[in-house]
Amino acid sequence: MKIRQKVIIPPEAEGRLVAEIFKRQVPPDVWVIENPKNIVHNHSYGGITPFFEGLTQGKLLGTFCPHCPFPYCGDIWLPPRVDCPDCWEKTAWFEVDPDGATVYSFSITNYPGAGFKGTVPCPLISLEIPGVCTNMMSYLSEFGEGEPYIGMPVRPVFRVEKPTRTILDLSWVPID
Amino acid sequence: MIKFGKGNLRVPELSRPVYVVAGGMTDFRKAYPEKQSTELCMDAMRMAVLENDLKVDLAEFKRMVNFCVYSQFADHFGDQLLAAAKMHDYLGFDPVGNIEVKTGGATGGSAILAGVTAVASGYASVVPVIGWERMDEVSTRQGNAYIASAADKDFESELGWLYSTNYDLMNQRYYYTYKPSRETLAKVAQKNHRHALSSPFSHLAKEYTIEEILASKVVSGLLTFPECCAMSVGSACIILADEENAFKLTDNPILVKGIGAGSHTLRTADRRDMEILLLPNESPDLYEGRTEKWPGFTGFLAARYAARIAYHTAGITNPLEELDILETHDAFTISDLQTYEDIGLRPYGRGSEFIESGEAYYEGKLPTNLSGGLLGTMHAVGATGIFQVAEILWQLQGKWAKFHERERMWTRFGKEKPRNFKNLQVPNAKTGMAISHAGTGSHVTCAILSREVK
Repeated sequence: MKIRQKVIIPPEAEGRLVAEIFKRQVPPDVWVIENPKNIVHNHSYGGITPFFEGLTQGKLLGTFCPHCPFPYCGDIWLPPRVDCPDCWEKTAWFEVDPDGATVYSFSITNYPGAGFKGTVPCPLISLEIPGVCTNMMSYLSEFGEGEPYIGMPVRPVFRVEKPTRTILDLSWVPID
Repeated sequence: MIKFGKGNLRVPELSRPVYVVAGGMTDFRKAYPEKQSTELCMDAMRMAVLENDLKVDLAEFKRMVNFCVYSQFADHFGDQLLAAAKMHDYLGFDPVGNIEVKTGGATGGSAILAGVTAVASGYASVVPVIGWERMDEVSTRQGNAYIASAADKDFESELGWLYSTNYDLMNQRYYYTYKPSRETLAKVAQKNHRHALSSPFSHLAKEYTIEEILASKVVSGLLTFPECCAMSVGSACIILADEENAFKLTDNPILVKGIGAGSHTLRTADRRDMEILLLPNESPDLYEGRTEKWPGFTGFLAARYAARIAYHTAGITNPLEELDILETHDAFTISDLQTYEDIGLRPYGRGSEFIESGEAYYEGKLPTNLSGGLLGTMHAVGATGIFQVAEILWQLQGKWAKFHERERMWTRFGKEKPRNFKNLQVPNAKTGMAISHAGTGSHVTCAILSREVK
C-alpha cells in the first residue's frame, strides 16, 4: 500500500467575496474576491545611510563634489548623493548650516495616501537653503494662521527620540 | 545635466516614415468589475481592427503583425507581473515579439515612441501599441499611495503619500512668481470636463460653473477636486505601420511627423537652475532679465526638451500657428498651464493667455483636449498617452463623429448621449500633437501627427 502525502489548504484560506466596490454593487454574475496583502520590505539606505543616521543625531548632512569646478556643480546636494551626477566621482559629506533657510514653496496635505504616519493637515514645504543647489522637500511640524508662506524663515527640528528612521525625522518650524 | 553638447541636442532622423492607421478604446470608469484587464484590451483592439474601416479582415491583420508594445504604468495596481505576456497571449499574437514599456504617466507616450522606433528602424512593419490600467483593486487612499510610489521613496513619498501636494508645490510657486488669475486655472478644468460630456468614453463628464470648481473640496493647497485628474480603469490602443502596410490597411493613414522624448529628475527638488532651452519660435532675448530659476518649480525641462525635438523633427517653427489640435497631459490644472509655456504656446509666465485668449477652446486657434483629457475623460495611466493619440487620429481622419456621436457608441457603454452633446470634430484638422507626461515631469513625450503622405 502506497503512502501518499496530502496537501492541505487550511479552512482559514476560505475566500471572501466583495459585495461593493467604490459604493457600487458588484454585478451578480461577476465575482470580485478579496486579495489581502501584508508585506514587509527590508529597504537599505545604502551609501546615503549617514544622512538618515545624521537626522537621529540632530545633524543635517548633505554632499558636495570636491572634483567638479565650482560653481557648476560644487554646490551642496540635499538630498545627498554618494556619486556626482556630473563627473561620476565620489562626493564628500558636509554638515549643512540651515541658517537662512526659507520656504521655497508649500502645499497642505489633507487627504494623505495610505501609509502616511503623521496627522493632517500637514504642510508640505520645499526649502531654499543658502549654498544648496536643490530645493529639498520636507514638512512643517508647527504652523499657525497664514503659515507656511513663500519666503518664511524656518529652522530644522530633528526627531532624535524614537526616530522613524525615515525622512519624517526631519521637520521645520517657523522662526519668529 | 544642465549644459548640453551637440549630441544631446541632436534632432532624430527616422529611417523611414511611420503611420498611425487605427485606434481603439474602452470607456473609462472608476471601477470595472465586469471585465478583466485582458478583456478590456481585447475590446480596445476589436475597435481598432474592426471599426476603423481597415481594408483587411481580422485574420489578414493578424498575419501582418510582427511586433507589439504594451503599456501599463504600475504593477502595483495590476498586481500581475509580466502582464504583457498575458495580454499578448489573450490577443492571440504569440510568438511575435513584444515589449512592455513603463515610464509612469508617460508610459503610453513612451510605448508609442518604442513602436515608432521599431517601425522606423525597419525592425517591424505593423505594430499594435496597447495600454491599460486597472486602478480599482484598491481603495482610493491606497491608490494615492501607489501613485506616490512614483515619487522618491526615501525623500518624498513618506511626506504624505499624495501626488497632488507635490503638484501643488509647483502651483504655489507658479502663483507666487507669475500671479495668474485663479479663475484661469478653473477654466482649464471647466473646459475639459465639458468636452468629456461629448465623449461616450468619459469617466468624469460634467458641466461646472467656475464658481463650483473654485468652491469644490480642496485636495491640496489651491487644487480642488475638479482640478485633479481621474483615476480610471480602461484600455486604449493604436496600430502603427510602415508606408507599404499603412496603405494596405487604410486609405487615410496619419503620418507620425515628429516625436520626441525628454526627462528630468524624479525629485522636483533636484532641478538645478539652468539656462532656458529655447524652442524654434523663441529668441534668446525673450527671457532677458528673468530672475526666477528655470525650470525650477514653474516649468518642465522634460516637456521642453521633448517638444523641441518633436518640433525640429516635424519642421514646426511656430506651434500655435502650425498645430490644429492638441492633447495635453492635464493631470492637474496647474501642470496644464505650465505645459503651454514649456511647449512654446506662450513664453514662460504667460501661459494663462492661451486660455484667456480663447485659443484653447473648440472655436479657437488650437483646440486643446477635445477628448476631455485626463481631468474629464480618463487617466487609466498606461492607456492615457495612447488614448490621446487615438483621439487625434480620429480628428485628423475626420472620424471624430463616428466614434463619439453615434448612439450605438453610447449604448455600448450603458450611457445616454447628453442633451448638451456637441460635435467636436475640428473641420479640416491637419496636424495634431499629444503630450504624455510622468511624475512631476520625469518623462515627457511629444508626438506630432499629420494628415499628409510623406
